[in-house]
Amino acid sequence: MNTLRDIVIVGGGTAGWMAAGALAKCVGTQQHRITLIESEEIGTVGVGESTIPPIQLFNKLLGIDEDEFVRETNATFKLGIEFVDWRHVGHNYFHNFGLLGADLRTGISFIQYWLRWAQAGGDPDQLRFSAEAEAARLGKFGRTPPSQAGNQPNVNYAFQFDASTYAAYLRRYSERRGVVRKEGKVVNVRQDSETGCIEAVDMADGSGVRGDFFIDCSGFRGLLIEQVYKAGFEDWSQWLPNDRAAAVPAERMADPTPFTLARAREAGWQWRIPLQHRTGNGYVFCSSYISDDEATARLMESLGQSALADPKVLRFKAGRRKAHWVKNVLALGLSSGFLEPLESTSIHLVQAAITKFLDYFPQREPDPILVDRFNDEMRFQYETIRDFIIAHYKVTEREDTEFWRYCKHMNIPDTLAEKIELFMMRGEVKPRWADIFSEVSWFAILYGQGLVPTGHHPLADAMSEDDLELTLSRIRSAIRQRVDGLPSHADFIRSCCAARPVTTAA
Amino acid sequence: MSERVQTVAVVGRDAPVWLAAAAVQRALGRTGVTVRVVEQETRLADVDVYAAVPSIASMHRLLGLDERLILQVCNGVPMVAQRFSNWAKGAPPYFVAYDDEPPPGGDLPFTQYWTKGMLEGLRVGLEEFSLGTACARLNAVPVPPSEPAPLSASYGYHLDAPRYAELAKQLALRLGAQAAPAGLRNVDVEGDRIAGIDLADGTRIAADLYIDASGAEARLIGNLAGAGFEPWSDWLPCDRLLTASAPRLPNLPAFSQISAFKSGWVGLFPLQDRTALVAAYSSGAIGDAEVVELASVISRMPVGGDAVVSELRPGMQQRPWIGNCVAVGQAAIALDPIDALDIHTTHGCISHLMTLFPATAGEFPEADAYNRSIGAFGTNLRDFQAAHYCLNRRFDDPFWDRVRDTAMPPGLKRKVDMFDARALVPLTDEESFYEQGWSGLLLGCGVIPKGYDPRVDGLPDEAHIQKVQDRLRGVAAIARQMPPVEQFLGLDHAVPAQVSGQA
Repeated sequence: MNTLRDIVIVGGGTAGWMAAGALAKCVGTQQHRITLIESEEIGTVGVGESTIPPIQLFNKLLGIDEDEFVRETNATFKLGIEFVDWRHVGHNYFHNFGLLGADLRTGISFIQYWLRWAQAGGDPDQLRFSAEAEAARLGKFGRTPPSQAGNQPNVNYAFQFDASTYAAYLRRYSERRGVVRKEGKVVNVRQDSETGCIEAVDMADGSGVRGDFFIDCSGFRGLLIEQVYKAGFEDWSQWLPNDRAAAVPAERMADPTPFTLARAREAGWQWRIPLQHRTGNGYVFCSSYISDDEATARLMESLGQSALADPKVLRFKAGRRKAHWVKNVLALGLSSGFLEPLESTSIHLVQAAITKFLDYFPQREPDPILVDRFNDEMRFQYETIRDFIIAHYKVTEREDTEFWRYCKHMNIPDTLAEKIELFMMRGEVKPRWADIFSEVSWFAILYGQGLVPTGHHPLADAMSEDDLELTLSRIRSAIRQRVDGLPSHADFIRSCCAARPVTTAA
Repeated sequence: MSERVQTVAVVGRDAPVWLAAAAVQRALGRTGVTVRVVEQETRLADVDVYAAVPSIASMHRLLGLDERLILQVCNGVPMVAQRFSNWAKGAPPYFVAYDDEPPPGGDLPFTQYWTKGMLEGLRVGLEEFSLGTACARLNAVPVPPSEPAPLSASYGYHLDAPRYAELAKQLALRLGAQAAPAGLRNVDVEGDRIAGIDLADGTRIAADLYIDASGAEARLIGNLAGAGFEPWSDWLPCDRLLTASAPRLPNLPAFSQISAFKSGWVGLFPLQDRTALVAAYSSGAIGDAEVVELASVISRMPVGGDAVVSELRPGMQQRPWIGNCVAVGQAAIALDPIDALDIHTTHGCISHLMTLFPATAGEFPEADAYNRSIGAFGTNLRDFQAAHYCLNRRFDDPFWDRVRDTAMPPGLKRKVDMFDARALVPLTDEESFYEQGWSGLLLGCGVIPKGYDPRVDGLPDEAHIQKVQDRLRGVAAIARQMPPVEQFLGLDHAVPAQVSGQA
């Protein structure tokens, strides 16, 4: 191969158009030809999508205007996830984005000071020290540019949006920058007989699309990465047994919440993602414990709003492709692996793969050294998110159904067991450098699920009682001031990023 | 339920034992933790030197030690870089400097722009774009900018070792650490735990947590069940050190000079009152007397009759935290003296220990996390040092041929391969050197990238040239504003008042 010039993205949907947008922006269509093949006949899995804060970096990379993006994707803002019935039925907790408390610059986390205080009888609700959680409780939201922060904490956020309009939005973005969309289905793949690299794909209409590099966004089936290269699938269903989801859109909430709701159910959990124009709902379940019909019925009877369509059942399996990049094929999105949307990581994994791919973007034929490194890094990403999600099931008091009895008593990966052990002792898990979930997130989940650390970091004891009280009350009042100053989520959206009331076909 | 850690015994010698004691005492003394120090006989000679990369300054800030005081008491000289000569026959010397990394999330690393330029004929080396190197060449000290600047660099120190150890001792005692009344007689071990320490005068010390700061001897950790030492001599082949003094250099350099010779290397470390000389070599390849002679020739200075030799055995404890015992510094990770990492290793271990300081005495689940972090930390440092040896180009010297022909450690191999392919440095957990440090080292060792990030091509040629020229001019301009070493130290008699006015 000479200089890599033609990049072919096989499959549209969120992953495909995210790749198209990022490549169009960062690699450009001046010296590269970027083609995206998608078929209107093949549906995308697009349901309501919920994201995590690093998506702001992706928006920044693309240079897109956030208000426009929110308007065009019917998005709402997200400050975290509310978990209901997870520890036990009737219990709820919140996974807050952003910090807990403030950085006291003593080398240890605020959580440690808070633990000391709580262990001595202080209020066990750590979320009083999270501006995001407090704002979410009150249905408030606002942007807090760092320059205006002063002593008040920033508010960190992500988005909840309509995945199909997001793909359409990125399509417009990409096509404006010279990405060519080709309608049709791929029926055949041609490989170079010598190198095994993919040379071209043949379309149903008889035409062929030649390429130097292919991005496989074909979904679960992995048209190139699996059907051609047999990369293999690492099955994680022993830890994450959910294998189906019943999904249905419902009418909009009168006042969309600035957070996603995840309610544990008899054989899985149910999401509620409020958007500007409707509400995404779904029941993620394990088919060994509940039938499709029953799960669908449970979903339909628990909608807060009237359904806007018939429910659909999607099937999947938790795990990851053993290689995410093989020769001149990169797998993105579902063709690369699947983790249930409990922590809204699907889009993040696509984004992470795209950013790493840009770092290792080949000039000519891909260098095996870079490919290996890429695959290592992606494996790490998938595994850490996997562990984080498993923790929600493993750490629970629920044993009221067979599903929960299985989860509570299943074996877990050593990497997670070690984190839990450390957490019990001192309320921290020591995430690795490349972990996407911080101590704050781990604390929210493990503590929320019912693990109460028995100790705390000894350095936290070095602060005098009075100083600690004073510090906590200062932080608390700064958070209160910050939250008092925020508009309601609905008002904020109305003021700058309300979608057009009637949605027209994109 | 177990109790909190109330008593800490630190056993060891020289700077590490007192730095560890001072750190624990300062952080936890007011929570009621008592720190007792069992000091072992020193292994420092009068001629010894501590060369320390810039991380030492952050440790001093944490301990509340003033830079001026340290430099004055320890006859210290700022170390802006290390200069490596004769590591490849015929190749010019290169510098490893300590440029600060730009904030994350910004532009691509400058190395990428440089690589494209180089592949298209740019004849200026990457080190010309390093502020640290530019300062080293001018014998100037890159003092920190008053507000965040796009280009900045840090510096470490050369310090008189016995004086520095004494300073650390005074600090620890002033903070409230207690010196044990007598020396160490026996370590009472029960399986994988220490039951107590018996002193020469018959007293016995028992503690909730023991810190081993005994240096390469690994006096505590090495005797526990489950301990194991992983030797690194395949990649760090020097097994003997010779330390001596030479006269003070008339015009103090801002860098150490590290010159390879046929069976090792000789380093010159300028101090205010003398020049410390350290030679590291293979005892199988050369005798001590010959090294003294050679050192004199290489350094072009009379090497004193005060020369002292000692043994060196690079490697690390596979489990630096076992039971109730935590090893820090060389007791955990024994490195080669190249790259000035001795104090850095001690500091790194202490700061990991403080981060993971046990919440309760007893089972210590923190040990696994410490062992993993220190394992990665030590391995990355080893790889940095190993690069000098493994990538040497002194062909036909058997000592150098052997290490060059040995397969590189996997982490170093990955860095070399990715740098070679793409000018990329794949960083992992617990790195001490980042993109610029590694790039400077690898280029110096002759790894020339064959490719670069294609996003660099997004910049039109004229803008690319402009960017490269701007950086070159920027570096030179900033370096020229930096004070020369002697002025920085207040040894510049022309303007003595200014410096004292600052203090």
